[in-house]
Amino acid sequence: MSLTDQDEALISAALEGSARAWERLVRRYEGRVYNFALRMTGNETEALDLMQEVFLGVYRNLQRFRGDSQFTTWLFRIAHNKAVDMNRRKYLLTPLASLGGAEQTEDEVLEQLHDETQEQNPLTLLDTEQRNAGVMKLLNRLSWDQRLVVELKVFQSCTFEEIAEMQDISANTAKTRFYTAMKLLKTQMEQTHVV
Amino acid sequence: MSCNETAHIVAARFDDSLSPRQRRLLDEHVAACAECRDALADTQASAAQLRQWQEVPVPQWQRVPEGLREKQRASRPRFSFWTQWLPLATACMLALAVVLNVQVQIGGNGVQMAFGGSTQAQDISAQLAQFEQEQRTAQQQAMQQLAVQLEERQTTANLRLMETMVEQFGESTTRSMEQVLAYFEAQRQEDLQLLESSYQRLADSDFQTIRSVQQLANYVQYQGGQLQ
Ligand SMILES: [Zn+2]
Repeated sequence: MSLTDQDEALISAALEGSARAWERLVRRYEGRVYNFALRMTGNETEALDLMQEVFLGVYRNLQRFRGDSQFTTWLFRIAHNKAVDMNRRKYLLTPLASLGGAEQTEDEVLEQLHDETQEQNPLTLLDTEQRNAGVMKLLNRLSWDQRLVVELKVFQSCTFEEIAEMQDISANTAKTRFYTAMKLLKTQMEQTHVV
Repeated sequence: MSCNETAHIVAARFDDSLSPRQRRLLDEHVAACAECRDALADTQASAAQLRQWQEVPVPQWQRVPEGLREKQRASRPRFSFWTQWLPLATACMLALAVVLNVQVQIGGNGVQMAFGGSTQAQDISAQLAQFEQEQRTAQQQAMQQLAVQLEERQTTANLRLMETMVEQFGESTTRSMEQVLAYFEAQRQEDLQLLESSYQRLADSDFQTIRSVQQLANYVQYQGGQLQ
């Protein structure tokens, strides 16, 4: 039985009121959604909020899932929309001067990520922290739209057509946006000697 | 020299669904175009750097939304069968013990079990009463351990059963149901075996709790009463 079939079995069981099926479905994808949220928001509290909003959105719209696309595609369409919503709210609520995502220092990023990795093996802890902080630092250099395209392509393996649909742009624009973002990251890496 | 195709070429490299023909055309272009070659090297380096990300474990959170929790509470009786699995298995075993005329003998060495004897439930209970007299200082431990062990088993058995059911769903309903039933039967057999070996351990032990043995007697008597 394929992953997709299992998803659909869990979805129909959840629709019939099985909390266990729902929980299994959630556990199957929460790691992906949470890490997506962490990379998009850059901090644990917001990531947890975002992940919860995503799954609540999934739950509320579950009967609308048709099965003509993969569940993960559908899930990340919701995740994308919730991330955009959250970013918009944040932008509206935050005075312009303190919108310092791109100015975040490596120490701040490290500090933010520290809590999230505390429960892991102490030996791998520092390594994980450093790697993730490095990735966050890079992502912070991108505009919000670029960041989303990169995230959806590199981490979620969405197609450019799917990304285009989510962002309401043409596939060509999505491709150009991706390329521009990846080039920018390379320049950034050279400047900070990451490679 | 400037190439207008670079963004597309790069995008295509990140596309897993290219046909062999598309892939060949891509390779041909990249082989001939230095700009795209550089662009590809750059973007692949960026992607490799991003993939350094290490999965961060998800903190504890409330996975089941309130609405579904309420639904679940309302439909609880549907699931009670599974949560009643152990009592059911125990009852089956004990009923079987009576039907098969299992003989429980209590002597100086504790409780012993044999099949096909003629001892009736009433005799068992009389012997147990005698045993109770003899073993005033008996310990509860073995029986409690058995209870804990069975409880743990029940949980894992139920989880495995759920898992199998979910995994078998959807292929074809008939086949799935057959598999679920086969799995159910296998679980039942395992539980019966466990129960049997537990009886054996009970028999091997010199000190048994009076209360626990009395409970067993009550079970047997109850089942006997039902069947006679
Ligand atoms: Zn070219």
